[in-house]
Amino acid sequence: MFLPRILESIDTSISEKYLNELLEMNQITKEHGLVLTPEEVKNMMIVRSQALCSYGRVELDIAMTKELVAVFCTSSYINNDNFATILNELHEIFYYLKNETEDQIGDYKLIHMMKDYFDYDCGGSLELLKSKIEGFIEDFRKGVGLKESLFERDEF
Amino acid sequence: MELANPSSIQTLVVQGKIKKSYLSKYQYTISLINEGLRTRILDIQEVYDIQSQLILILKNLIRRYTQGESSSVSFETAEGILASMMYALDAYLLQLDDPEKAIFYLKSYHIQEIYDKGIEVVRQCFEETKELYREIRVHPLDVAVEAYNMTIEESLPIFLKKYNILFDAHNTMASIDYPLAIDDMRIQGVFYIKQYLERLKMEMEFCRLFKIQDLQETLINFGRICGFDYRIELFNIFELVLNNAIFSVLSGGDASDLKISVNQYNQLASLFTLLDESQIRFAIYTAKDRLQVDLNISNPNMINYMTQCTDELVQRVIHAAKYNSLNSVIITKKEDKPKSMMVLFKEADGMSDYHFRILVEAITECHQTEDKIQLIKSNIHSVQDFVDMLNSNCLFSEEYRVLFETLGEIELAILAKMVFYEELRNGPMDFSLIVTEKEPDIEWQLHYVELIKGLSKDRIASIEEYIYDIDYEEIKFY
Repeated sequence: MFLPRILESIDTSISEKYLNELLEMNQITKEHGLVLTPEEVKNMMIVRSQALCSYGRVELDIAMTKELVAVFCTSSYINNDNFATILNELHEIFYYLKNETEDQIGDYKLIHMMKDYFDYDCGGSLELLKSKIEGFIEDFRKGVGLKESLFERDEF
Repeated sequence: MELANPSSIQTLVVQGKIKKSYLSKYQYTISLINEGLRTRILDIQEVYDIQSQLILILKNLIRRYTQGESSSVSFETAEGILASMMYALDAYLLQLDDPEKAIFYLKSYHIQEIYDKGIEVVRQCFEETKELYREIRVHPLDVAVEAYNMTIEESLPIFLKKYNILFDAHNTMASIDYPLAIDDMRIQGVFYIKQYLERLKMEMEFCRLFKIQDLQETLINFGRICGFDYRIELFNIFELVLNNAIFSVLSGGDASDLKISVNQYNQLASLFTLLDESQIRFAIYTAKDRLQVDLNISNPNMINYMTQCTDELVQRVIHAAKYNSLNSVIITKKEDKPKSMMVLFKEADGMSDYHFRILVEAITECHQTEDKIQLIKSNIHSVQDFVDMLNSNCLFSEEYRVLFETLGEIELAILAKMVFYEELRNGPMDFSLIVTEKEPDIEWQLHYVELIKGLSKDRIASIEEYIYDIDYEEIKFY
């Protein structure tokens, strides 16, 4: 695919900038006892690129990754040992969800929905989160329960 | 943007020779960059800079597309936006009508500036397209050709409503069924629609040079000759009119006359059989030139368009003369058949949608077949309603047979013209044979065919006679 490659070429030139931006996120996460190492961040960027590629998506910046870090660092089910691994898995889940909901739901809302499921319905289990997400997608496809579960204020 | 300095362009031309044949007007910017590289007018670093600027524009467009709600989009969406962006760039650079100047612009100006100018060009084209459409919409030809009317009334308005200059400029997104005499479908987006409308307008202007009654009659004769319902077929009206006008001139008729009598046809047939290919070409072109003079046609675009169509006509006539099929090219006047019958279905007696729905519900709720038949007989008087009722599944297997048994031969012949439309369009055929071979998918047609198969030979022969007596334009079921 020509397009993702040319967009990636720009990303490569600013990957250093991304790395620094994510490391700066440690200022927020360390309040919750969580810190990402430069190696973990680099690895996360690789996982992100692979997930984007496998789900056929292109991304313009790392705003979504930063939002994932900022939102999930407050979860009581996450500790410094599993933080990076969970974030990697969350990237996969997020892009999958983005495709399955046909880009009709904004990033911010999806991330917060995933966090709510993760904390309140799934007890911090990624397996349960995936299953919950499948249920959500099914409802989305049927067009049932979408507004109740996400957009009480009708913010499409 | 300032005009390019001619001396700078001169320098580029000296560097290498741009081959216009290497450029594609359908991917103009990309082909310009490639050609710029090949001729070394652009170096690798300059191409990289252009690419980087293109990507930045694309990124900004994607951001606008998602309205900040999402930082990622699918490949398909991104590719669509990229194609739309390139469409705008192509629009501006093509408009310069000078590849050297276009490469100079790519080399010397911000791509964003070129893109913005391109968007303006596309927007301007869209406005002109809307204006063209308004002109066409006000005075369409009064013809019953469905594809022509649907294209003007439905397909084009959908395009004008949905067209998106920023994110989908390259998309034509209109299902235009009506074929032009000459079309270039490689063009995309609003430029295609504009070209389509310009040509359609020109075709309509030409058709208006003739009496509308003559045009309508030519269409009816065309349908009769081809054995189909011209109203639902896909063909170009202009071509038909131009050809017959040329034939009229060639057979001693008036340039503004479209009617070709049997005598004129015989005269033309003898002429084309006697002449060789180059003589046929000469005769047809001479008639075309006469047509231009007699009809006072001076618009060069129209003349060029007529010339291209005449080329096509020459080939068709040469072929038809060779294979003795001139009757399918020259639309001769077909006399109306004497109508002794009274067609029982009348379009004027059609029901409103509301009353039709009520009737279908009432038929469905009836338990006795006789009651259903009674309801149908006393309420339905138009072919359209009758066929809609048959398609509405309010009858069950045996009931179809009972209903069809109550129909007369004329009514059965009308239904046959619909059930066997495809078979009959190839000209007269043995009706019994068509019936035997037919295997319809639609339930009512299945029962209809079964009923016909069970009729006596005499009745089938009588229905067959009616089939060829009834013309499609007499049955208003579309």
